[in-house]
Amino acid sequence: MTAGTTSVVVRLKLSLLRNGLRQSAGRRAAYVFSAVLALLFAAAQLLGFVALRGHAHADAVAVLATAVLALGWTVMPLFFPGGDETLDPTRLVMLPLRPRPLVRALLAASLVGIGPLFSLLVLAGCAVSVAHSAAAWLVAVVAVALALLVCVALARTVATANIRLLTSRRGRDLAVLSGLVVAIGAQVVNFGVQRLGSSGLGQLQPVGDVLRWVPPASAIGAVDSVSTGSYGVAAAQLVLSAAAPAVLLAVWGRSLTRLMTTPDASTLQAAEPAGRDRSRTGLARLLPGGRTGTVMERSLRYVWRDPKTKAAWVTSLAIGLIVPVFNALQGTGSIYFACFAAGMLGIQMYNQFGQDTSAFWLVATTISSPRDAYVELRGRALALLVITLPYATLVTTLTTALLGDWPKLPEVLGLSFALLGAMLATGAWTSARFPYSIPQEGHKNVVPGQAGLAWISIFGGMVSAALLCAPVIALTIWLNVSEGGDGWSWALLPAGGLYGAGVTLLGLHLAAPRTATRLPEILLAVSKT
Amino acid sequence: MTDASGAGTPAVRVQGLWKRFGQQVAVAGIDLELPAGKFIGLVGPNGAGKTTTLSMVTGLLRPDQGSVSVVGHDVWRDPVAVKARIGVLPEGLRLFERLSGRELLSYSGRLRGLPGAEVDKRAAQLLDVLDLAGAQHKLVVDYSTGMRKKIGLAAALLHNPEVLFLDEPFEGVDPVSAQIIRGVLERYTASGATVVFSSHVMELVESLCDWVAVMAAGRIRAHGTLDEVRGEAPTLQTAFLELVGARGRDASSDLDWLGGGAR
Repeated sequence: MTAGTTSVVVRLKLSLLRNGLRQSAGRRAAYVFSAVLALLFAAAQLLGFVALRGHAHADAVAVLATAVLALGWTVMPLFFPGGDETLDPTRLVMLPLRPRPLVRALLAASLVGIGPLFSLLVLAGCAVSVAHSAAAWLVAVVAVALALLVCVALARTVATANIRLLTSRRGRDLAVLSGLVVAIGAQVVNFGVQRLGSSGLGQLQPVGDVLRWVPPASAIGAVDSVSTGSYGVAAAQLVLSAAAPAVLLAVWGRSLTRLMTTPDASTLQAAEPAGRDRSRTGLARLLPGGRTGTVMERSLRYVWRDPKTKAAWVTSLAIGLIVPVFNALQGTGSIYFACFAAGMLGIQMYNQFGQDTSAFWLVATTISSPRDAYVELRGRALALLVITLPYATLVTTLTTALLGDWPKLPEVLGLSFALLGAMLATGAWTSARFPYSIPQEGHKNVVPGQAGLAWISIFGGMVSAALLCAPVIALTIWLNVSEGGDGWSWALLPAGGLYGAGVTLLGLHLAAPRTATRLPEILLAVSKT
Repeated sequence: MTDASGAGTPAVRVQGLWKRFGQQVAVAGIDLELPAGKFIGLVGPNGAGKTTTLSMVTGLLRPDQGSVSVVGHDVWRDPVAVKARIGVLPEGLRLFERLSGRELLSYSGRLRGLPGAEVDKRAAQLLDVLDLAGAQHKLVVDYSTGMRKKIGLAAALLHNPEVLFLDEPFEGVDPVSAQIIRGVLERYTASGATVVFSSHVMELVESLCDWVAVMAAGRIRAHGTLDEVRGEAPTLQTAFLELVGARGRDASSDLDWLGGGAR
């Protein structure tokens, strides 16, 4: 009976794969191409690991690779929920199946596909690179199987625990963030690789020492321990590796039962009782009254609640931190890189009304004078400053601390504030003059036909912002090269701050009348789909 | 409410209004006076230019030509006077959907400069009357079509406008919500305010409105009280079909194979 279920589900998975490919030649080509690519990559990795045998830090690399692989399996179902149709057990809900056989069957089905094959090759490579005795080879076979099991069980557990999330609006919101995670991850990997290149694989050793106790990397750690003769350690690591899938399968089985015996997300959401009163949050009480506070509150709520806005903010925050701090860590960076944070965050002022989408009509019906437009824009700039000002200060201070160049802190802070002011000013002006629509679905940020507009808005604005900063930059250079100028570099902090504030006010004053007279045109520009 | 602007002032006066989108003429020269204190229906088939007209009247779309004044104030020259006096429920535009219904009302009321306590009081009452109190803390993005129309209506009513413009307020709305919206609007016009709404459902317009303007192909084909526009015809539907020239199309000769009998 159990074996029957398993083989049926595995065959179901195979049919789904086959039928998916039968649908179109393009899809088939893409599948074959990605399969070949993945297997070539895995094979190359396998060879690489074989070549790594005997290297002093091979164990750390192998353990780390296993951990990264497991991480991939964990986050994959969050971002690509539609990727595997048998992954969604709610489709099987009408069938008379007990949880235990179902778990076994779904697990077996999960082991079919390119992903598991790819992982098998990578894990085999990891094991090969650290296996140096007959006993180690024996343990390696068990270790690879256990590690693969943990990976697949991880993916299944996470997917089931989140299936409600994945089929709901919230889950789809999360998917918008997925591109971002990949982008930031790439940045981190890039810096990591550079760092490795400059100082060798030994850098990985401390990380490896921790990870060798974390399943599934602990399985590979066990192979290494056997190779070095530490049988006790190896046994402990193996036990850990075996306990992990057991725990995961139990958790998975429990959430699967719960999932299949309770109503789905949409029903639950509709029946949700009236929640707590959120109309006056703590945040709102701290904000000023009138239109300013109202606009700020809405803007700040959108940073958190609107997936597109959130993705843009997280990208800016992350890159604004990563570039100066990682460069400083590598010792290659200049302290002036700290201005990156202010620049990246200032971008959020651009295309303010495009961020509203066609809901801008509501704002348009409440703006009847340049004064209203001014207060509206100022509110948005203030909301931005609430996050940006402390963040830019923090990043600048952190970068300075890493480089140990404290005397330079005031001038870099001053430069940051001046740049931020210039970005806010140009952002406000281009928001009024070159608004464009931001599509709400998918990863695209510009509607077809408005790409030129977006380019003018962002790049024209950024160049203008740099030009606007010229006086402060010139002052900085002059103080740095002139004799005795160092004694006056503290003055750049107030000077930069005042200059930034002045430029911002000027920009807002110039943007406001344009906004007020161009309301219908702005609405038209931001309503394109 | 209307006495501030004088008894004789029409709620809306439109003169020589034109709008083209590229080659296509959406609104082809409209002259119209809408009387104050009435429940006014703007009817016409899809693509007649109803939404374009309402957008231009409410200041959301700039006309190519012509002038619009609301209770005696020019929409484009005196936006301060006009925007405070009108409420709008557009069609096909989004709301700030990542706010909850309650937050949306609070936001739009405060943007209009109403005191916070007053906004909260009015919002609570509107949510209650529109049967949205249970969903007030849900994000608007999770609302159904009927709920969206209702929260949009609440936002449009919050500042107690003199003239309310509603574009297809009953489109996609379930009968229960429609009845609620209807009740609120009837109460509102009974107090002397003006409602202008567009629709292509004649039965609805006939049962709600006391003044009708019929639009087709960017022009006004007829306007006046319900009786004037209906004329001899038994229903507004019949009169409307005659006005827009759709009566001649008798389908009986075609598709004679359709229905019972020989298959």
